[in-house]
Amino acid sequence: MKARIDFRSILALVAILAVLLPILATDTPWPTEPRDYLAEHAEDETGAKNIVSAIYLGYRVFDTMGETIVLLVAVLGTIGILTKVESLVGDTQQTIGTVSAFSLSAEKRRSNRLRTHLLEVVTGKVGPIVLLFGFYVMLYGHLSPGGGFQGGVIIASGIVFLALGNQRGETSHLSNSEKLVHIETIAFLLLVIVSSSGLITGSPFFGNPLDHTAVPVGYIVVLNAVIGLKVGTSMGFLCIAMMGGTD
Amino acid sequence: MVDRLLLLILFLIGFLTIVAKRNMIKKIFGLNIINAAVVILFVLEGSRIGMDAPISNGEPQQFVDPLPQALMLTAIVIGVCITALSLALAVHLYRIGGTFDIDKVKERLHDGL
Repeated sequence: MKARIDFRSILALVAILAVLLPILATDTPWPTEPRDYLAEHAEDETGAKNIVSAIYLGYRVFDTMGETIVLLVAVLGTIGILTKVESLVGDTQQTIGTVSAFSLSAEKRRSNRLRTHLLEVVTGKVGPIVLLFGFYVMLYGHLSPGGGFQGGVIIASGIVFLALGNQRGETSHLSNSEKLVHIETIAFLLLVIVSSSGLITGSPFFGNPLDHTAVPVGYIVVLNAVIGLKVGTSMGFLCIAMMGGTD
Repeated sequence: MVDRLLLLILFLIGFLTIVAKRNMIKKIFGLNIINAAVVILFVLEGSRIGMDAPISNGEPQQFVDPLPQALMLTAIVIGVCITALSLALAVHLYRIGGTFDIDKVKERLHDGL
């Protein structure tokens, strides 16, 4: 496919350059006040050593909840559009080339050229390790680099590996899209319960119920785990649905 | 300055991909490249005021600004959502038009309607 660089493209390029050049040429120093405040207070106020976790699960947790809702809407929209495609196609023989080449169920695949033994063996063996690492990143997000979203994405790749690595149709429960949806729904319910658990002790919505106990960081660990489960199952479900599903 | 210039070039590559390529999948790649350029720009600029990772160990230290990193976490997740949704739309258009070429899809849609 040949690129079509015509007059309009050049014009658009010049326009976007004119917008971006002031950003490039600015020499305003980056402000240090927020960094200094966070360095001094973040650990006391939220309990998390990882300041990034302290921000997105402490100071800015409403935004995180909105983000998970955006993820939910994206999954819903994608699945809605994809299932509409399936019903338009009707018979499974005519699904588009990429789907039929990488499809998870063997009868939908047009050719097995891309499903080499290398792919199946390596992904099947690496999958559980990736899942374990994902849970590590998710549960230690308050201490080390990582957190719910990062661990969730790693878990999703582990799910995809397991789905790709199952040979001759032995489906694991994790590549069953229906079960993934159940886990995601339960995770969202848990998120709502955890977020309103502070109401019992008189703190506001998303208030930390463990605020005056010895382990205020427990709240962030639970939130990380719930968000990680939700993100992992959402992304894994998206990928599996795009590969044609297994059921 | 050089790093900013490189990021500008990365952004322009993504933008040019969106504007000039006809293949819808390549346009979605362009969106992703722009997203990556913006994310890297924020993290880079936030890292100019310190050297250490934003993980406190009880001692006073000069770490990078954690604020843009937390912000970009959101941006990455939203970028993935946008990619998934646009890929699904591209598949949908492929089913209707029979091609990933955006102009041909447009023509065929006009013919059909």
